[in-house]
Amino acid sequence: MASGICLFAEHYNNILDPSVAELSSAAHEIKEITGEKIQVILLAAESQPLIEQLKRLGIDEVYVYNTEKDSLFQDDANSQVIAEMLKSITPSGVLIPATVIGRSLFSRVAAKLECGLTADCTELKVGKREDGSYVIRQNKPSYGENVFVTIVTKEGRYPQMMTIRPGVYKPIAIEDNSDVKVIHMDDISFPPSRIGVTAVKPAAVRADSILSAETVVVGGRGVEDEESLKLLKAFAKEIGAAIGGTRPLADVGLIAFEHQIGQTGFTIRPRICISIGVSGAIQHTEGIKDTKLCIAINTDETSPVFNIADYGYVGDAREFIEGYLSL
Amino acid sequence: MKIAALIKHVPVSNDVSVDPDTHALIRANSEGMINPADLNAIEAALILKEQTGGQVTVFTMGPPDAEKSLRNAIAMGCDDSCLITDRCFAGGDTIATAKVLAAGIKHYGEFDLILGGALSSDGATGQVGAMVSEYLQIPHISEIHQVDYEEEAVDKLKAIKKYQGNQFCLQTSLPALLTVCFGANIPRLATLRTKRAAKSKPLAVYTNEDLKFPPHETGLAGSPTEVIDSFEPESKKKAKFISGTPEEAAREIKALIQKEEGRD
Repeated sequence: MASGICLFAEHYNNILDPSVAELSSAAHEIKEITGEKIQVILLAAESQPLIEQLKRLGIDEVYVYNTEKDSLFQDDANSQVIAEMLKSITPSGVLIPATVIGRSLFSRVAAKLECGLTADCTELKVGKREDGSYVIRQNKPSYGENVFVTIVTKEGRYPQMMTIRPGVYKPIAIEDNSDVKVIHMDDISFPPSRIGVTAVKPAAVRADSILSAETVVVGGRGVEDEESLKLLKAFAKEIGAAIGGTRPLADVGLIAFEHQIGQTGFTIRPRICISIGVSGAIQHTEGIKDTKLCIAINTDETSPVFNIADYGYVGDAREFIEGYLSL
Repeated sequence: MKIAALIKHVPVSNDVSVDPDTHALIRANSEGMINPADLNAIEAALILKEQTGGQVTVFTMGPPDAEKSLRNAIAMGCDDSCLITDRCFAGGDTIATAKVLAAGIKHYGEFDLILGGALSSDGATGQVGAMVSEYLQIPHISEIHQVDYEEEAVDKLKAIKKYQGNQFCLQTSLPALLTVCFGANIPRLATLRTKRAAKSKPLAVYTNEDLKFPPHETGLAGSPTEVIDSFEPESKKKAKFISGTPEEAAREIKALIQKEEGRD
């Protein structure tokens, strides 16, 4: 019978991704109820340093597959190996970081095993079926963050596989259990991959276009005067962000129309949005969607912008920026 | 080069609430549009088409209403389109969706390259593209920011993917599937003339009579997962307030930004 909560050990440059310690926390919550073992799947060219790091995450077993070379992004081949490993480990659940790596690799694994893959879970709960078997209730946001849905893997389908949004679970407190069982699975052959990595270089910060920028600073009425706008630009430069503005700024010609955000301007999907002096009328909030981190600075604590931001600071825009630039 | 572009007809607005009694979704607006990242996939396809003298066929699986998005893709410059629609395909999870899409593509013909958007604006799983490539047994590179084609090379496709603050140049041979990130390029706009012309273009429609799946293999029945509940978040997003002097707030906000920048 399927048993065990299996984590995927994402790593880069011999360092485990911080999300793996978060997965272990989620797995411990499940283990407390079901009593299952916590297992880890590790695929690496050099596994030893990673195994040492895994020993500090309170896990029971590590299943290791040594690749001849680094196989990062070779998901046509990696997925084949992982599918074979899972067939032999037969866990009841597989937890994966919801990262570019996790999504890409495990989509293929799920298709190979036809076992389903729930994306970007923010909460896991354990339920019990009528026959006494446990089920992981997988909660995830949908339609931006407006609705949450609970998804389950259908009865009798294993493993229950899901990606977990990084940053939701706290990383597990360090637990020294050096008696982790290490199982090598090197009898699986590594299939040929048609993907190759030809070069790696530091990613260029693209702040030229507001549409593709990962970080955006948006100014509103609160930074309408030229002096404030100058500060806003310095702040954007400091954090490598593109500048956007709401309609009042475009109307008075302080920003170009190409930088106008909102119902009458562009809809942007940056990863990080810092909104300064924006009141947050719907015309503007409609323009920022799916932002992972939204921080708002405004003098009015009742401003609607604080209903859509993750973090808020009530204060003067200029004082805040001056404070930031002095750090 | 023969290119397939996979698009999704998504709601214009994510303004969705949940009926407290039935837990059914209530949409403020039922209008649909092409998923934003799919516009970037279409643009990438059109650039490659111009470069190689190829043809772009756009596919979607969805309700009959999704025809509107296919016509818009044609108006942007795609050549043909195919609507995969059947009540028995409805309600599928990513696996059931990818399986049907892959079968539809295979039924239509052979393609050198398949492009799709990296994430949808509604479900945002980012999984369907990679799953389609698995069903078609071709390599894939997901969430790319740039794609280039080199006729002379063995591995004709070069793509750029970002990870851990680095830019990775990857290459693969054809046939392959790529998913394109939102903002990777600036999608061209349809004109009034091309929109009008797109209306009269033929459109292939595939139902399960064409794809011939056993009934238990598609849609809700063919999905390994199921949605058992939906609810609204306890508090609709409400900011956590940071207190202190501007300098203290700035320090805390700097840490938040750096933490987010470190994620992938």
